[in-house]
Amino acid sequence: MNRTPRITNRVILTLLGLFMTALGLHGLLLAAVPSYAAGWRGLADRVGAAFTRLLEDTTLEGQRDSWLWIVVSVVMIVLVLLMVWWMAVQGQGKTGIFAREFREEGTRGIVELSSAVPEQTLKAALAGRPDLVTVSVTSWSVPRHDAGLRVKVQPRLGAAPYRIAEDIASLVVDMDAILGAAGPVVIHLATGARTRMSRAERVR
Amino acid sequence: MSDDDRRKLQSHELHSARSTAAVIAALLVTAVCLYFMFEAAMKSLGQDVWIRSPGEWGTWLTGLPDSADPLVLAAGSLVVLALGLFFLLHGILPGRRARHAIPQERAIVVVDDGVLASTLARRARTQAGVTPEQVVVIVTRNHVSVQLRPTSGIGIDAAAVHAAVEDEIRTNHIEPAPAVKVHVAETGVVGQ
Repeated sequence: MNRTPRITNRVILTLLGLFMTALGLHGLLLAAVPSYAAGWRGLADRVGAAFTRLLEDTTLEGQRDSWLWIVVSVVMIVLVLLMVWWMAVQGQGKTGIFAREFREEGTRGIVELSSAVPEQTLKAALAGRPDLVTVSVTSWSVPRHDAGLRVKVQPRLGAAPYRIAEDIASLVVDMDAILGAAGPVVIHLATGARTRMSRAERVR
Repeated sequence: MSDDDRRKLQSHELHSARSTAAVIAALLVTAVCLYFMFEAAMKSLGQDVWIRSPGEWGTWLTGLPDSADPLVLAAGSLVVLALGLFFLLHGILPGRRARHAIPQERAIVVVDDGVLASTLARRARTQAGVTPEQVVVIVTRNHVSVQLRPTSGIGIDAAAVHAAVEDEIRTNHIEPAPAVKVHVAETGVVGQ
């Protein structure tokens, strides 16, 4: 439910992967195949000469170096900033406010429900269950919808998944009616260290 | 929520977002950029460059393979190739998580395969009448493999176990329903 830019991740990873694979293959061929290396030398000499000419053309009078290097530095800075942004947006989207509404009539003002409300409600409702080891509930902001809930539970070894899912879903339906917000809900039945350490579920 | 949104959210839960690979790639690109900026800055300040200035790197590149030790070049290329394949495969493979979905009206429900395995193991164990240590269940996307070690002298009805495990998958509405394979070991263990 987080807002990780999945498509961006895939596209950049694929492009970078293709580039580095090509670079690695090129290096290996240079080291191993003499005829390929000879071909590369011919091409590289021409490209190198063209680049040197370009550098000379872009050097202003009285300056030591070409202004192309400044352009390159700017591109690098932009690239670094983009990479920092890319890292920062991974896994974003958790919210502390479950719902917020502006009231016009009566006492005017904004009513805010902290995300602790649905989280604590669900946790308290599930606390007594013997077939769950841990319960964690988080709220996520979802574009064009009410805030979403992610319910992660670790069932005891051997517990029946469908029954747990149905019970949690019916709790969620009850809570929708009380809180007046019905965003998307994800129920995740997970394994973890706590499940393996705790005793198994008895047959019911 | 529309069906489209539901499907999207469910597929997000069942597939990896590739965050780890993305962060590794971002760090790598940042490091390379910062290195070249550092060298360029050293050069423009009139200081000695650290390894080579960007221009000298260009000359070095066109001078390959004579400008580098062939062994170092090959080893470096292998590292770059391996990293490239790592990123490429993370970019194009579906990246399915070891999870199954359970259809539910109000919520999107996903189950880790480990949870499912323990449920199926309990059912197989009660059907076969053996202890938990005698059952191993492995769940993958399309297959469930149940391995049983019978108690010495007491046979196991593999067909009944098969039917029980399939029934458990059906009653839990697992999607997509995996095919069940039961294997009873030739040798038994001393029962408890």
